[in-house]
Amino acid sequence: MSRQAGRGTENKKMNSELFTLTYGALVTQLCKDYENDEDVNKQLDKMGYNIGVRLIEDFLARSNVGKCHDFRETADVIAKIGFKMYLGITPSITNWSPAGDEFSLILENNPLVDFVELPDNHSSLIYSNLLCGVLRGALEMVQMAVDARFVQDTLKGDSVTEIRMKFIKRIEDNLPAGEE
Amino acid sequence: LLLSVVCFAPQNYPLYIRSVPTENELKFHYTVHTSLDVVDEKISAMGKALVDQRELYLGLLYPTEDYKVYGYVTNSRVKFVMVVDSSNTALRDNEIRSMFRKLHNSYTDIMCNPFYNPGDRIHSRAFDSMVNSMMMQVC
Repeated sequence: MSRQAGRGTENKKMNSELFTLTYGALVTQLCKDYENDEDVNKQLDKMGYNIGVRLIEDFLARSNVGKCHDFRETADVIAKIGFKMYLGITPSITNWSPAGDEFSLILENNPLVDFVELPDNHSSLIYSNLLCGVLRGALEMVQMAVDARFVQDTLKGDSVTEIRMKFIKRIEDNLPAGEE
Repeated sequence: LLLSVVCFAPQNYPLYIRSVPTENELKFHYTVHTSLDVVDEKISAMGKALVDQRELYLGLLYPTEDYKVYGYVTNSRVKFVMVVDSSNTALRDNEIRSMFRKLHNSYTDIMCNPFYNPGDRIHSRAFDSMVNSMMMQVC
């Protein structure tokens, strides 16, 4: 019950400009280091994945949410608790596929892209791709394989930013025998 | 009528030049560049007082027959210069001041764009449209 002891639930504040500029510096450095945008996107996704697999532990410890029973519940938790906790925004959930295995997160404003204007020579760069990696990594740690990708981006002239999430499969626990 | 908006780097080379199309654009540039001398003069003359009051607006730099030139300098020595048609008397000092403030805010946003390298020429859609709207508004 006292799972959250020692790990405060209070929201520590951070200056948003510093955060945005830090992420911007990261992305532009990657753009310098890699020849093409696809490699940068891949690298961002990988970094996000590594963040996600760690962040999920922090998330579970702090938020005290239980097991989700279906994908809809998962979506709710991601949008209303996860995004709120780490980015201070609450994306809306829409466009459920009939089978209930795909949905969209709509971000009205994305704190990562304040001030950013994509230059013309980076038209295929997915600037916030880190977020997809984080979602993928975090959900993988709770036995869910998902695919996350940007389908709309305000940086590319769309009116909102949309992340499409697709449930792929449950990852079966490979627990050693006798442990359950 | 707002005729021209120019930003200068601390080293006095232009970062951004925008003016309404005219035949004698060269004369324009000449006017703006000479105004830089006045800016430097003003800074060194009242430099101390400026810092104390945190007043960035330099006011009317000099009037010529056709234009009035206004200046603004940030604490990081980035200069903004605006050229206004002399025949326009409706424009108040306060409005000029708030236009400069707007320009300054926009410039700050550009500096925060990670893809912009400080000291480069400014190529920004957001900045362009802001200047556009200022020119439209004043016309």
